[in-house]
Amino acid sequence: MPYSAEISRANPSVFMFLIDQSGSMVEPIAGSENKRKCDSVADAINRLLHNLIIKCARGDGVRNFYEVCVIGYGATVAPAFSGPLAGRDLVPLSEVASSPARIEERVRKVDDGSGGIIEQKVKFPIWFEPVAKGITPMGTALNMACKILREWVSRHMASYPPIVINISDGEATDSGPVPQAQELTSLATDDGNVLLLNCHISSQPVQPIIFPETDADLPDEFAKTLFSISSVLPASMRELALAEGFNLGPEARGFAFNADLVELIRFLDIGTRGSNLR
Amino acid sequence: MVPIVTAFRLPKQGYSIEECDDAFAYELGALRFAIADGATESAFSDRWAQSLVKAYITEPPFGMPPSEDAMMLWLLPLQDEWRRGIDWASLPWYCQEKAENGAFATFLALEFGTHGTVWEKIIGRTLQGEELKWHAFAVGDSNLFQVRDDQMIATFPVARSTEFSSRPILLASNENHNYSALRDIRAAAGGVKQGDRFFLATDALAKWFLERHEAGEKPWQELLALQTEEEFAVLTERLRKDQGVRNDDMTLVVIRWEGES
Repeated sequence: MPYSAEISRANPSVFMFLIDQSGSMVEPIAGSENKRKCDSVADAINRLLHNLIIKCARGDGVRNFYEVCVIGYGATVAPAFSGPLAGRDLVPLSEVASSPARIEERVRKVDDGSGGIIEQKVKFPIWFEPVAKGITPMGTALNMACKILREWVSRHMASYPPIVINISDGEATDSGPVPQAQELTSLATDDGNVLLLNCHISSQPVQPIIFPETDADLPDEFAKTLFSISSVLPASMRELALAEGFNLGPEARGFAFNADLVELIRFLDIGTRGSNLR
Repeated sequence: MVPIVTAFRLPKQGYSIEECDDAFAYELGALRFAIADGATESAFSDRWAQSLVKAYITEPPFGMPPSEDAMMLWLLPLQDEWRRGIDWASLPWYCQEKAENGAFATFLALEFGTHGTVWEKIIGRTLQGEELKWHAFAVGDSNLFQVRDDQMIATFPVARSTEFSSRPILLASNENHNYSALRDIRAAAGGVKQGDRFFLATDALAKWFLERHEAGEKPWQELLALQTEEEFAVLTERLRKDQGVRNDDMTLVVIRWEGES
């Protein structure tokens, strides 16, 4: 059965994030008061890396169940880690854990157990800074992903295939994304093809469409294009989404349209919560 | 009647025995046995699992089964010991944060003795030819099987192989995470006859045991034939390869009640 390989130190997998850093990312994201889209995405990615590290941490350190890569596309197309990891593409998770650019302290409101709310200081490590400048060379970013993963896949044929999550707020300005995405998702390990999930984030307070089965309800050609390059969710991911309260069918694709802040985070959570860690 | 005990413990494939998060312990004087399965996703769960089984055989909680409060009281010094055993200052931020969540483990405790009503003590057991009673309690999905005359006569707390899930209820080293676990202490009891066999197994092996039994087979026969660690390792490898048994830590304790010679 495809998409059932154990993720272990001997057979790690990959999470790769392609982040739109075009000029329009300065607009506020729906569902958040005046928070720029680029800030929301940076927060979501940093939080997700944090959660992934804690999930794979044991008493003696972080187990390298994953390699992680963040590529930004806008004025340039390049690996987008800040700090000590700047310029690196695939980085083993333990190294991500030990090399954040900096660690901020943020205040979190938590339940005090007796009905009140208390403020608690929490560590918030930063690996990825918001950028919003330039155009939307999505095709070039997918090409870069393909180049990095072609080599990785050839060395990890027994692994769970890489998951690539593309987050964007608009149409590609280059020849992308269809041919590049097809080439990317044609890469495969013995356990299945590379999975490509697309998340369109929105400034408009309109109802998001998450994990659709067809493009019938999608409003425009751009949305239909992103839908067409999104992978059908494997059974394990679909079950996870069902358990989280998403309403989705057997042909549901890894695609979110007009996602607001809440849906962006839920979408990323489903896309990255592997359950078969060993 | 005396118990003859064999016990085995193996890590996941690709891991060393130091990385095994399962634990077992027994004390033949008190006739107490315990196994625990530390949750791999938590930090220092191996120490937590060890601490639970060791504390049970030396100083068990009050009551059989213990009440929610008795269990909470019993856990307090163990939780304290677990926390004090961590060199917090030397941990990087991510290990600290992980450890603050606490360690988690399943727990299964088994005791043989003469608990029971006076009626049971004088009449009941004599009628059935049972010399002892067993009492067990459990949190989570580590399982107990009783086999008599080559038939399985008890399975506890999991009755069917389909009931195993990837999210069992677990005892936590952080007392704030124990509310639901303590409310879900399961208990069972039964009689013991000479010739009875008891098996304590952690989830991957217990699930296989129930699946084979549901298919009309007698999985205990293979387990009773095991003599050495090496034989257990060979069996484990075969079950993982041929019978779809999950690559998980595996623990087995076998208790045979034999006549005194």
